[in-house]
Amino acid sequence: MIEAIHISKSYGPRPALQDVSFTVERGEVVGFLGPNGAGKSTTMRILTGFLPATAGEARICGFDVFDQPMEVKRRVGYLPESPPLYPEFSVGDYLAFIAELRGFYGMERTRRVGRVMERVGLAGWEQRVLGSLSKGYRQRVGLAQALIHEPEVLILDEPTSGLDPTQVQGMRDLMRDLASTRTVILSTHVLAEVEAICPRAMIIAGGRLRASGTIRELQQQAPGGVWYRLEIAGADPREIGGLPGVTVVEPLGSADGFLQLRVRAASDPREALAQAAAARGWRLRALEERLPSLEEAFLGIVGRES
Amino acid sequence: MTGFWSLWTMWKKELRSYFVSPIAYVFSAVYLFVAGLFFYLGVTMTGEASMRVLLGNLAILQIFVLPMLTMRHFAEERRQGTLEMLMTAPIPLWAVVGGKWLASVTLCALILAGTGIFPMVLAYYGDPDWGLMFTSYLGLFLVSCSFCAAGLFSSSLIDDQMAAGLIGAVILLPFWLVGRANALLPDDWAAAIQPLSLLYHLDSFNRGVLDSVDLYYFFAFTGVFLFLTWRSLESRRWR
Repeated sequence: MIEAIHISKSYGPRPALQDVSFTVERGEVVGFLGPNGAGKSTTMRILTGFLPATAGEARICGFDVFDQPMEVKRRVGYLPESPPLYPEFSVGDYLAFIAELRGFYGMERTRRVGRVMERVGLAGWEQRVLGSLSKGYRQRVGLAQALIHEPEVLILDEPTSGLDPTQVQGMRDLMRDLASTRTVILSTHVLAEVEAICPRAMIIAGGRLRASGTIRELQQQAPGGVWYRLEIAGADPREIGGLPGVTVVEPLGSADGFLQLRVRAASDPREALAQAAAARGWRLRALEERLPSLEEAFLGIVGRES
Repeated sequence: MTGFWSLWTMWKKELRSYFVSPIAYVFSAVYLFVAGLFFYLGVTMTGEASMRVLLGNLAILQIFVLPMLTMRHFAEERRQGTLEMLMTAPIPLWAVVGGKWLASVTLCALILAGTGIFPMVLAYYGDPDWGLMFTSYLGLFLVSCSFCAAGLFSSSLIDDQMAAGLIGAVILLPFWLVGRANALLPDDWAAAIQPLSLLYHLDSFNRGVLDSVDLYYFFAFTGVFLFLTWRSLESRRWR
């Protein structure tokens, strides 16, 4: 549905994106994570056809964003980082204008404006002037603008930035709802958001795609990713280190005569550990897998190479 | 075909922008006030039942005030991030440029219509030459079309409104000044460059002459600046 193939972009001599490739399948919701200035907005602008890439190509629904921009623009709904509003317009006039830009006139225009306002929770707000709206409502109008033509692909640049917690919740519910029928890419630097609504995420930093996968895969990919916590008595840590696959054994402390250990291994060592404990008479009272939080994984991945 | 619908949509939106903000009203009020002043002075000083002095002076006034009408167009769209929305909407860029130009030209036409009171006054007290009146108005309208195009171009160059307005006036000034080149340059040099001047071509309209060369001049002037605007917007994406 969305394909980026070796995309690079430079602003003058300064590279903003270097060799970014990914695909997003139909019906997926993908979170685009990265620190500020990482290249998230640039990537999105290339996908929408607003900016041409310096090298590489991007396709949406099979159409090249550079060679067939009209086909792409018809299929994409785009919410830029700050909602593109005309402050002196009323909500109704603005959305009517957007509907016409999208090729809907007359009754169809009225119907679409009414429906999209309902959808984003703006019903009854036709007469309000955009310049007087609060950040949350401006964001809703921005989203309405991206949804009016019911696009197959939604590209949302920080859709929840600047919203209060209730509004964030509402926006997430809305996005989850949209995700059922559409392909969505959304950028954010709020990790909780990705955990809440995106089954898959991509981490971009310094203009490069650093990691991509499900939340769990990202946690595993992070440097110092998965480890196992062990509480054991009657065993020598060196013996545990000698078990097949185990790479690192670090003491964490001790309590009630039990030794607490951090074990890292090439593959899941839990079964081998349990069997060894039974065979050698070790007293094992805890054995659990530990994943870094998404935040730790993110920091680990972003910090890598930089 | 969809291009013409988007042109219509853009035109409506720009006109609405003019009329929901104070710009259109303040601009027309100031313009008509100054026009009234020129009219009064022109008629009382020459004693003629003609609009010659008024319309000639309005052309020069427009060099300075029309860029103020157009300066906000692209500068403001860029500042509010709406240019990104327009450029990711399925409409051709020429419709964006054309719609904005048509809207500013429409506003100019409305204001010129507002000066229609002066010919009526003349007709009441004297016997104006209606043919001359028509060509002078046509000339001034073509000047407005040209200036709006140049103003849009300056607005596409820079994000700051005031700077865009000043650049617009600076672009237009040489087209006025070359008409006065004989004050500075040898006669044959001046004669060679004077056809570049807006006033040179406007002059025949003000003498009641409709010459195709003058029409072509204004069409070309407008066309070139609208084209440059389009190219300038297109090229800014590449930086």
